[in-house]
Amino acid sequence: MIIQRISRIISNYEMIMPIFAGAVTLLFVVAIFSLPLPYYEEQLYPKTYDPTSPLNPYDRGGPPFVQIDIKEQYPENSPTAGYVTSYLTPLSWYMANTTLYLGTTIVGHPGGILDEILYNTRGLDTVVETTILFIAFAIASYLYRKG
Amino acid sequence: MGMVNPGGIPYFILEFGDELVYFSPYTVSLFILALVFTIFAVIARPERQVDIVFGGDAFYAKETSLAELKIRRFMAIACGFASMGAMVTGDLFNFTLFISLVGICNVGIVAAVKNRHVQNAAYQYGIVALSATVPLFGAAALIAATTGTLSMVELWSNAALAVPLVVKALLVLGVMGEGMAPFYAAKAEMFRAPGAPYVIMCSLSSLLIFLRVIEVVLVI
Amino acid sequence: MWQEYSIGLLLVFIAAVIAFFALVVEKDDLHRLLLLDLVEVPSLGIIALLGTDLAEALILPGLVVGIAELLALSQIYVTKEGLKERKVQGLNIEVIQADAPLIISVLLICYGVILSGFTGGGVAGLGVVFYFMARGHREHFELLEMASGISWAIWIFAFFVFMFIPEYWLLALFMAAIGILLKVIVKMSLVGTMWGDGNG
Repeated sequence: MIIQRISRIISNYEMIMPIFAGAVTLLFVVAIFSLPLPYYEEQLYPKTYDPTSPLNPYDRGGPPFVQIDIKEQYPENSPTAGYVTSYLTPLSWYMANTTLYLGTTIVGHPGGILDEILYNTRGLDTVVETTILFIAFAIASYLYRKG
Repeated sequence: MGMVNPGGIPYFILEFGDELVYFSPYTVSLFILALVFTIFAVIARPERQVDIVFGGDAFYAKETSLAELKIRRFMAIACGFASMGAMVTGDLFNFTLFISLVGICNVGIVAAVKNRHVQNAAYQYGIVALSATVPLFGAAALIAATTGTLSMVELWSNAALAVPLVVKALLVLGVMGEGMAPFYAAKAEMFRAPGAPYVIMCSLSSLLIFLRVIEVVLVI
Repeated sequence: MWQEYSIGLLLVFIAAVIAFFALVVEKDDLHRLLLLDLVEVPSLGIIALLGTDLAEALILPGLVVGIAELLALSQIYVTKEGLKERKVQGLNIEVIQADAPLIISVLLICYGVILSGFTGGGVAGLGVVFYFMARGHREHFELLEMASGISWAIWIFAFFVFMFIPEYWLLALFMAAIGILLKVIVKMSLVGTMWGDGNG
């Protein structure tokens, strides 16, 4: 019986990865044939570039602690969004004043806009994300210590 | 609200910045189901497995160590909370994150058992769950790119925002990957793990996320 | 209709097909784990093609979820294969056996704390990793677990401040920055220090 054979293959847990990966492969092939997809022009949190700013590409304008306008989904829910435009540590402040390329290095903590999104307007995402880390860590350390 | 939400009109909407959590009749029912089973996981005592020797009176009782009990109970409760979150969230990316959390909690419930068979099953399920994050996050990003929003409320109230069918399919496949455990446990490989209430949490959370993704796909 | 976005998607989808096809044919468990790391890349690519600030904010959780699950899975792999502990000795280099690691680590940790946030966590974590590498490591896992839990609690509290009493946003911001600082330090210092069963 063909159903019997299929169910025997599926019930083997070694086979689950190839089956699932096969399904995803097929779906991505379908996705290739369904291209092109439309790109919605009015995006939230649009990116801006100012090549003359040392904080490029993270410069969103305005000094720290002065509210700037951020294009979020529900502005009425985040009344304080836009205060943290950027904050620089002494070293990165020095680099910002001497070179134009602070934004491309890791010491140029992109603070500002990303902090606004990660902590404030989309804070729930980050809560879930840290919980995932926490759970993964609990599993790993349980297996390691109580092993 | 232009279009009707198949899950019913929300009773109320909680606002977390850009992310709305909405309680409609459908999501509330699923939420209460998850809540009840989480309470069960909190108060339940674990089952003790007994192997009976065939044709005789002898039996072996398998003991579950206290540490193992604690970590599995913790995982089951976390899984319950993750399912509750996934039931009511109204943001697509947030939804995919909750689904991943359910997936990794399920891995944790099973992986805490120190048995080679069980560990192997947990590993196989874990790699599926990890690879399932690709279609999941991919679908969320594609929705944001094609419609300009991640909020389900926006998507159902504005009829002009249409999500391509293939993107919906990616989302569903990703959820299937994260919640696959009970399906291939048909052979009971994973249920050899002792400790009944916690393993049931795996099946229940998978069932709940499947039920929710149906609503999500109909809504967006 | 074929804008840059769709051309980019075409490339990423092709990459995804290749990567997942590799997963279909791969039979070895360890290689599957390595391939998974590769498979994560197209997913980050799809998010990045969004091309807004939102995309960057979505990449971070996406990346973190991948790393977290890899951490758990590799530990499950080690346990399931029954790989026994391989002693990690301190590096046998003269400079490292003197006081240098302590000084460098303290400097890195101090600077990381000043930086705060994600970058600060990276720098401070590097200091801890360096110290562990130089000195060998043993105990301390309970401590790290506790730090991880505390940082999580700080984070959640900061989140509620943001959502319900937004006038104290500055406090919430700093709490969130400290939370992620602790978190990233803990995660970084774990890299490469877990091996085999703790009970050996």
